[in-house]
Amino acid sequence: MKKGLLGMLAIILVSSMFLAGCNKGSSDKGYSNGGKGTKIELWTFNELHEQYYEHMAEKWNEENPDDQISLKATTYPYEDLHNKLLVALQSGKGAPDISDVEISKFGNFLKGEPQILPLDDVIDPEKENIVQSRLDIYAKDGKTYGIDFHVGAAVIYYNKEIMDKAGVNPDDIKTWADYKEAGKTVLEKTGIPMTTLDIEDQWSFWPQVAQLEGKDDLLKENGEVNLTDPRIVEVLQYEQDLVKEGIAIPSPGNDHHSEEYYGFMNNGGAASVWMPMWYMGRFTDYMPDLKGKIVIKPMPAWSEGAPRSAGMGGTGTVVTNQSKDPDVAKKFLAYAKLSKEGNIEIWKQLGFDPIRSDVWDLPEVNEENKFTEYFGPNIFSTLLEVKDEIEGVNIGERTPDVSNAVKTTILFQTLVEMKDPKQALEEAASQIK
Amino acid sequence: MKPKKKWKLSSILLILLFVVIGIFALFPLFAITLGSLKPSTEIMRYGLNLKLQADLLSLDNYSYLFNGETDYFIWYKNSIIITIASTLSCLLLTSMVGYGLAVYDFKLKNVVFGLVLIVMMIPVEIIMLPLYKLTMSLGLMDTLVGAFLPFVVAPIPIFFFRQYASGLPRDLLDAARVDGCTEIGIFFRVMMPLMTPAFSSMAILQALGSWNNFLWPLIVLRSSENLTLPIGLSTLLTPYGNNYDVLIAGSVMAIFPVLLLYIFFQRYFIEGMTAGGVKG
Amino acid sequence: MEASRRQGVRKQKKRSLLYSQNAAPYFFIFPFILSFLIFFAYPVATTVIMSFQEVLPGQTTFIGLDNYKELWNPTFLTAIRNSTVYTLLTLIILIPVPLVLAVFLNSKLMFAKNFFRSVTFIPALTSVVVAGMIFRLIFGGQDGALLNSILTNFGMEPKAWLNHGGTSMFVLVVLATWKWMGINILYFLAGLQNIPRELYESAEVDGATTARKFYHITLPLLKPISIYVFTISIYGGFSMFAESYMLYGSNRSPNNIGLTIVGYLYQKGIEQNNLGFGSAVGIALLVITLIITLIQLKFFGMFKKEEQG
Repeated sequence: MKKGLLGMLAIILVSSMFLAGCNKGSSDKGYSNGGKGTKIELWTFNELHEQYYEHMAEKWNEENPDDQISLKATTYPYEDLHNKLLVALQSGKGAPDISDVEISKFGNFLKGEPQILPLDDVIDPEKENIVQSRLDIYAKDGKTYGIDFHVGAAVIYYNKEIMDKAGVNPDDIKTWADYKEAGKTVLEKTGIPMTTLDIEDQWSFWPQVAQLEGKDDLLKENGEVNLTDPRIVEVLQYEQDLVKEGIAIPSPGNDHHSEEYYGFMNNGGAASVWMPMWYMGRFTDYMPDLKGKIVIKPMPAWSEGAPRSAGMGGTGTVVTNQSKDPDVAKKFLAYAKLSKEGNIEIWKQLGFDPIRSDVWDLPEVNEENKFTEYFGPNIFSTLLEVKDEIEGVNIGERTPDVSNAVKTTILFQTLVEMKDPKQALEEAASQIK
Repeated sequence: MKPKKKWKLSSILLILLFVVIGIFALFPLFAITLGSLKPSTEIMRYGLNLKLQADLLSLDNYSYLFNGETDYFIWYKNSIIITIASTLSCLLLTSMVGYGLAVYDFKLKNVVFGLVLIVMMIPVEIIMLPLYKLTMSLGLMDTLVGAFLPFVVAPIPIFFFRQYASGLPRDLLDAARVDGCTEIGIFFRVMMPLMTPAFSSMAILQALGSWNNFLWPLIVLRSSENLTLPIGLSTLLTPYGNNYDVLIAGSVMAIFPVLLLYIFFQRYFIEGMTAGGVKG
Repeated sequence: MEASRRQGVRKQKKRSLLYSQNAAPYFFIFPFILSFLIFFAYPVATTVIMSFQEVLPGQTTFIGLDNYKELWNPTFLTAIRNSTVYTLLTLIILIPVPLVLAVFLNSKLMFAKNFFRSVTFIPALTSVVVAGMIFRLIFGGQDGALLNSILTNFGMEPKAWLNHGGTSMFVLVVLATWKWMGINILYFLAGLQNIPRELYESAEVDGATTARKFYHITLPLLKPISIYVFTISIYGGFSMFAESYMLYGSNRSPNNIGLTIVGYLYQKGIEQNNLGFGSAVGIALLVITLIITLIQLKFFGMFKKEEQG
């Protein structure tokens, strides 16, 4: 009997090893178009992006019957994607042809010799139609390595219902000083804070810094850390003052992407929030009760006539040096993100403000969709209004470290623990090499 | 004459103590099972709570597991395959090593045992990157085998088997030798059957570890169809909204096989721990 | 004839190998040696080398002790402090308490032992992902979150559990306790069942009280298993990473209150791709655990020749 048991175990062992070994890495499984055509492997961290690429691959095949591609797109969790990609590029094996890289992680991929390919050959033909700052952020030594989905223009979303109750007209708010005053009124009349602030994320802080005139923001133009710049200290001080007076509160859940925040805002917890254009999708998907109550306006500026917006966030999609068909990969990428059709689809499917400015006043883009139903028509008119005031940001090798410091210590220490902004910034800066 | 068991005060207190502990232990699992029966928008708005809310209860979330939108059942299958393969191969190899260290006297004995202890101490994170490169060169990336091979000769079972084997009667060994058994034969035919309790406990420990293993499979496994259950579930947590419906229901279902395994084998597990004696 | 005799000798040599008590151990330990060399020694050596380098794609430069000098910074020290406090707390709670509970569970006064034993063990069956997610939801900062809603029911203030150092460590320790209590109880139960009843009975005949029985019989005879539990708890404590990662949903916690040594290694080595520096952190962790182990081994004398059979 015992021998029989042993024998059975042995059989189970062998068969399970066999099954385990049988799972070969790449096969034709998962490749679109039945595996026909040039095989392209793509990684992303957002399922919506994955669906978008798959859709564009189909369209490409329709328009290019002689140059078919077979796409395998996979979505990994955000941190995981960047780690995997970095390790694969580092070790020289296992990287896909194309990958999304989020902007605050992009610096990691520019260190040393970039293991990703310059994309200028496909960008140059379309260059004049593209918002330039969205190309500069992914460049090193004059070569551009990533192509973005959107401009990510920072705007401000007002809860009209609350604003009306307080008797404040959003169009009257032109500067941050105006905003503070309006905030006091709203607080007095309704008891509701004017806004919430990101604590573990950078979407409240960074746009305000980027709005400052001149070419420096969190990094100087030359890539050096700029955290101790007195004007940045002032920005942080401004935010801290808002919190001290109750005009702003740290976002529930510590950032505007948490379940706590969605629930809070959906129940009318705050009168406004400033986030990039791509945040629209969060409203439609997670804050249904606010439908029809939110208006999108340009952000206040630091002074009259100063820039009102900045390009925030972004996903720089790259082609890796491990791609077996770099030319096809580049062409597909350009089609998906640089072409007119691509840009129109980017708005329609993803709700992003596309990087080709010649698309913004096209009728297709102003058609009805779930965003116009929620926010009202003329979403792009706000964008067109600030078209020439969209500041770029400096992205470099230090960006991941700076971004990390902002998200982990700086905001928390100053806006929750009420530490002195100058001190917090100086301490953080000293730790970044 | 043995007195009948009386309901002494101390008994009652003890029971109460353990009831409280039991509640503490099971309460989170109850909360999450309840949560899995409610739509995830509830969780978004109100967090996990205990309100029964009978009108909201449904098995909808579980249906998502079955509808093929996620690869949930493929992950399940992969986890089962890896758990079985790694546990069996681990038991075989580690029992050999533990036995060898316990029963024989040879020059390097203490050195090897010391090495085993050292391997036990090092968290895998320290050697993760070179191990990753190695796995790539061996062509084991994104394979189920690659997800467990580097750790199959695990130090803790070696340690345990060594302790256990030290307690086995030596005369059996000598008798077998007289009978003309090869040394290997002695191990497989005589000693191994004697170590069954040890095998049971280590089997459960290894199976548990393998089922819940996270970090290394996270690095090695790529394509969705090769993921194991914990990794697959974690892909549902994204910064763009957590797919709590599937995540919570999926987590609840992930507990079941292990629960069953434990319920059926707990006797052997205890026997193994007990008899083996982790003696000095 | 000569041939067959020679064959006989050869056969005998071959056979004697299979019977050799000298050769046999090497066969048995071979799997470990192989695995050790390939999957352990080589990677460790590589890590050591990398810790003295600056590793960038396409350029690897030798920078001597620079990585180690950089280790001396507030974030790393925070990580060390967090890991140490965590380990200490889990040792304090997860050794004495399960021990006492095991004694209770084992006593004659207890009913339904198997049932309660299983119930306390069930949390250990959950994976870190699941456990972390559960606790994150229970200890969420909103007013409606599980624990906070219970607190408000009793008239207390809701707390933002994961936002402050003290409370976050509390949550981590509660998570560890919930998960590992059952398994430690099982270990101690196993140890208890090895103590012969006669010892207790003869002590009772001598008039020993419960307390004396506990201190003079139970505790000393539980020493071996206690050492084992102590050892694995120390390693577990210092290498803790996944629990914190799951609790915060990523490697980042406000002001680094949840950052552990391994978390720091992951952050620097994997997330920021600073392999040289990450390796240095790894080696630092190695040194810490080596020191603790050596102290512990000396203290408990594990290498002494066994006196019992």
